[in-house]
Amino acid sequence: MIEVEQYTKLYGDTVAVRSLSFAVRPGDVLGLVGPNGAGKTTTLRALAGILQPTSGSIRIGGVDLRTDPVAAKARLAFIPDEPALFDYLTVTEHLQFVARLYGVRDAGPRIPVLLEELELTPKASALPIELSRGMKQKLAIACGLLHQPSALLLDEPLTGLDPVGIRRMKETIAARAREGTAVILSSHLLHLVEELCTRLLVISRGEAVALGTIAEIVEARPELAGRSLEEMFIALTGSDAGQTAAA
Amino acid sequence: MSTSLDRTVLPGELRATDSAATRTPSPPAALLFLYTRSFSNRLRSQAARIRSPRYVAAVIMGALYLYWALFRNARLGGGPLATLVRGDELVPVFAALLLVSAARWWIFGADRGTLAFAPAEVQFLFPAPVSRRALVHAKLVRTQLAILVNTLIWSVLLRGNSASIEGWQRGLSLWIIFSVLALHRLGASIVRANAIEHENAGRRRSIIPLLVFGSLVGAVVFGLGSRYAVILTAADQGMRAVGGAIVDALHQPIPLAALWPVRALLAPVFTTTTSAWLGAAPIAFVLLMLHYLWVVRLDASFEEAALEATQHRAERLLRFRSSQMGKSRSRSGKLSRVPSLALTGRPEIAIAWKNVAAAIRGGAWRTQLIAFTLGLATLAIVTRSASARAGDLFMGVTIGWGVMLLFLGPLWMRFDLRNDLQRLAILKTWPLSGQRIVAAEVAGVTVLHSLTVWSLMIVPLVMIVQDPSLLRDSGVTIPMLCSVAIAVPVFNALMFAIQNGTALLFPAWVRLGTEARGFETMGQNLLTTGATSLAAAVALVFPVFVGGITIWVSDVFGSPLGVWSILLGTVLGCIVLALELWPLLVWLGSVFEKTDVNDVASGN
Repeated sequence: MIEVEQYTKLYGDTVAVRSLSFAVRPGDVLGLVGPNGAGKTTTLRALAGILQPTSGSIRIGGVDLRTDPVAAKARLAFIPDEPALFDYLTVTEHLQFVARLYGVRDAGPRIPVLLEELELTPKASALPIELSRGMKQKLAIACGLLHQPSALLLDEPLTGLDPVGIRRMKETIAARAREGTAVILSSHLLHLVEELCTRLLVISRGEAVALGTIAEIVEARPELAGRSLEEMFIALTGSDAGQTAAA
Repeated sequence: MSTSLDRTVLPGELRATDSAATRTPSPPAALLFLYTRSFSNRLRSQAARIRSPRYVAAVIMGALYLYWALFRNARLGGGPLATLVRGDELVPVFAALLLVSAARWWIFGADRGTLAFAPAEVQFLFPAPVSRRALVHAKLVRTQLAILVNTLIWSVLLRGNSASIEGWQRGLSLWIIFSVLALHRLGASIVRANAIEHENAGRRRSIIPLLVFGSLVGAVVFGLGSRYAVILTAADQGMRAVGGAIVDALHQPIPLAALWPVRALLAPVFTTTTSAWLGAAPIAFVLLMLHYLWVVRLDASFEEAALEATQHRAERLLRFRSSQMGKSRSRSGKLSRVPSLALTGRPEIAIAWKNVAAAIRGGAWRTQLIAFTLGLATLAIVTRSASARAGDLFMGVTIGWGVMLLFLGPLWMRFDLRNDLQRLAILKTWPLSGQRIVAAEVAGVTVLHSLTVWSLMIVPLVMIVQDPSLLRDSGVTIPMLCSVAIAVPVFNALMFAIQNGTALLFPAWVRLGTEARGFETMGQNLLTTGATSLAAAVALVFPVFVGGITIWVSDVFGSPLGVWSILLGTVLGCIVLALELWPLLVWLGSVFEKTDVNDVASGN
């Protein structure tokens, strides 16, 4: 369970995110969408404990991220859009490292299963420099899944993956949700969001402009009925208005 | 028909109506713009930090330190190191050291960082209408920044009195030296990279420089070898006599001739009159021009060598210093083995283990330690076999190396937060408090560097095995050795805590990563070491006082421990130092937790 209440992040006088409130229940996949600079990465980073909120509260599995960050972080996994790996650890050693870091008791049998699931077994002894972009992404995801987090935060998880890898990744994310993980997925790929996510959070200029299932959003904004998700996105974020004005 | 583009005011050469044929690309101007703007913008963003009280305090402290380090001896008529350049007797010694350093670039390969471009440079410059020669010039322009800063530092450190040459003359001479060294390193990198890339054909091209360098180094070794007996005899009269014998050996015709190019390069700095400088400087300048022409003529090999180096940038960034031994895999593809990590237990061990793995695979730490220890053992056997005095002398040299390692090692070994801060966003997601993360980061390198310093113990141990009477008559030696063994890890922990603390407190100003830097940054390294040593000295005041008092009291009141009171004093001093380190790590942990990832990202 991820609970966010009145989360606000300021950089000096600049508002990055303002009064954001939402919750993601176990098994839910929340799609976080918005134009570039809307505050998606800032929100994800705050949820991962990387950035301190200026105000508001974030709870992961019932644990407040500000008052007990260690316990909260032990329950979550954050997979950034650009995998940050250690240059001198092999694929397997990355997982061993994460196992020790998060105190994963059954890591021994789980590591080969995870490697197989993410098609990393043939690369088990490879260093990150010997991996393709997609393989690196898979390794970052494997590291995130090893400790079976109750909250999974994914920032553009399909970047660099081939079509087979994309399908596998979608299955992996859906499987985690079915197992009861609360997932937040930030992506510009609206068809992915539509396919995987049970609910949507659309943010623009640091503020939530829509939250809920597509049906709930249409109910709140009847003028969006019958439109594609792309058209809804443009209408909600006002992106077309900006472009028209620029033209 | 009028369009919005027509109404837009654009510089002539950027207008869409201009045909490609009329465009005149100006790569030098563009490159100059790129580097000057990048430099000024970087300075501006770093200066913007001064709004933070922490950075203001650092600027004030830094300014005071720089004044003290660079100008403290002004009234005595010279910079702190001015005596080094008041005569030309030492020129052959410095020339031999430089020659060996340059030979190392040829034999083991120079740092590939010399060649690598930043990813943005590859993206913009390589597909652009920029000639290879212009790329070489771009690389040269970039190195000039570090050269100019270090020329300034060394000019102040070596400044003379009224009987010396003018400051600008010495500065120009130093600039020539640093520029030639940078050019030589770049040239060696290109030739070496080309040799690896083109195998046989490339190797043939690198044979001549290797032969030339081999002959020059051989001539120097021959000169020293021919006077080996004299140097050995001088060992009985102390270090000064040994130094004199080495200088005399290098003044023989063969080594003197072999060292001529390097001596000619160094000569202007060591001149004391303007007329002598006017005689020496043109030759050094000719050497500079010859190097320039050589490197520019290598431009055909440059682009692919640079691309190759850039592609391997990630690997190179984590390679400690410039050693080619630091490859993660052997030629047969075997990965360097690291100690295995148990899957359960304290998570801090995992962080320290990760850093150890990086040092072994990226810095060839284990290979270097074994080579270093074997070399020390051999030299201990040779010197002790030659004479007791020579053995004692080598023991003195070993102690000197030990002291140097204690102070400089933490600057070189950077497999800690200085490397990991680049991934701060990931570190912050770890389920550990900041204090535990900082402590684990410091612990890994502390263990590795302590093992390196402990390896020096091989020298007295070998000598004791050779001559067991040394153990019987050792007096305070054994308690001293035990004390050093205990004190080294605690002292290293302090030094690494200072280095990591500096990176955490001033991420925008501290170089992150493990990338090696060249000769031209020696001045900056000297000042950094001085600042670190000052901080360590402050931290050591109380522990040294407690240890000293313990030994004094034991001595005055006739403790039954006898000479072993040294060990007691050391243990107590170490306990006090550890008690000081604890709150320091707690505080650094809270700094880690408060550090904004954006501050680190924008700083580097």
